[in-house]
Amino acid sequence: MKFFQQSFLYDDPWSTVAFAFFLRYPNPYASHILSCDVISREFTPLGSLVTTRLILKKGSLPRWAPQGIIRKAETWVIEESEVDPEGKTVRCVTKNLDHVKALCVEERVTLQQAEDNKTMQLTEARFISAFGWGLTKRIESHGLARFKAHMHRSREGISLIVSLIRQSRLQPMTLGGPSSLLDSHRPFTASEVVRTEADEAAPSPSDMSDSSRHEGCDTAWSRVTSWLRFR
Amino acid sequence: MAHSLSEECTPLKREYDSCFNAWFEGYLEPAVAASPAQREQYSQEKAREYDENCGKIWSQYRECVQVMLSILLHHGILPELTSSLVRLLRCRRAGDFDQARAENPLKEPPPVSSVDKTSSS
Repeated sequence: MKFFQQSFLYDDPWSTVAFAFFLRYPNPYASHILSCDVISREFTPLGSLVTTRLILKKGSLPRWAPQGIIRKAETWVIEESEVDPEGKTVRCVTKNLDHVKALCVEERVTLQQAEDNKTMQLTEARFISAFGWGLTKRIESHGLARFKAHMHRSREGISLIVSLIRQSRLQPMTLGGPSSLLDSHRPFTASEVVRTEADEAAPSPSDMSDSSRHEGCDTAWSRVTSWLRFR
Repeated sequence: MAHSLSEECTPLKREYDSCFNAWFEGYLEPAVAASPAQREQYSQEKAREYDENCGKIWSQYRECVQVMLSILLHHGILPELTSSLVRLLRCRRAGDFDQARAENPLKEPPPVSSVDKTSSS
């Protein structure tokens, strides 16, 4: 088994990041998402929202993968999330449903309100292969490496949506096209600490302060949606 | 918004997602509640608002996905998912029962003798 852990700080408030998290498919950094469906959604007695989504991802097998054992690289993924707006927390567990003997990846993401109206994302993932044939370790390491490479893109995707939401609230009257918004998008506006079992990187804060935010405009979604025509 | 697993359900999915997202943005920023009772009242109001706005399109979209999932499972396109999905579908049927009961409330409580004491949930 391989284990991965990383925390990341967004400069935006929890409600914006949580909203972006649920809007993240599709985005230009997630072209591997083929479909995404809500298959169950209900409220808990305490008012949290529990959602199960079924997602089909396009995958790619490593060159050294044995031919013919896995017919196609597509993977069905189940995502179970709970949103608690009072406690300002999102918890989300994602697991692949097929190819589980080759590699089972379980990812847990927590989004929580942090100090200074920022948002902390904690990501944990574990990789378990039961493949055998002397490939178990290699498959797990491959899964971890792919996951780490993908984390970057996944965060850029969420940051892009965050910046779209932010701008839609800042400029309620300016209906710029997607290109102007994409141009002004800054992928790294947050400081981060990365920690894995393999390496321990020092914190690398990048200090880019956020522009002032205009709150109270509750129709951001209607504007963002018209800009999110990526497909 | 991303596609549904079947193109047939994609228009319903888009309509549902739009409805959900418009509601969800407000849900994420609850009014500051002074007491737990107010908080509970607020979350009940939000849940009711969601049902009123999106309940109809949700059942249409869900039914479409459910039918398509059954077809995929039947044809063995999702062979390894069967147990997890069957579990979810079963949960959903239990949810439907609750919904049906909520939509058709009994005007008067049933006579005590006919109340079934066994519970499957």
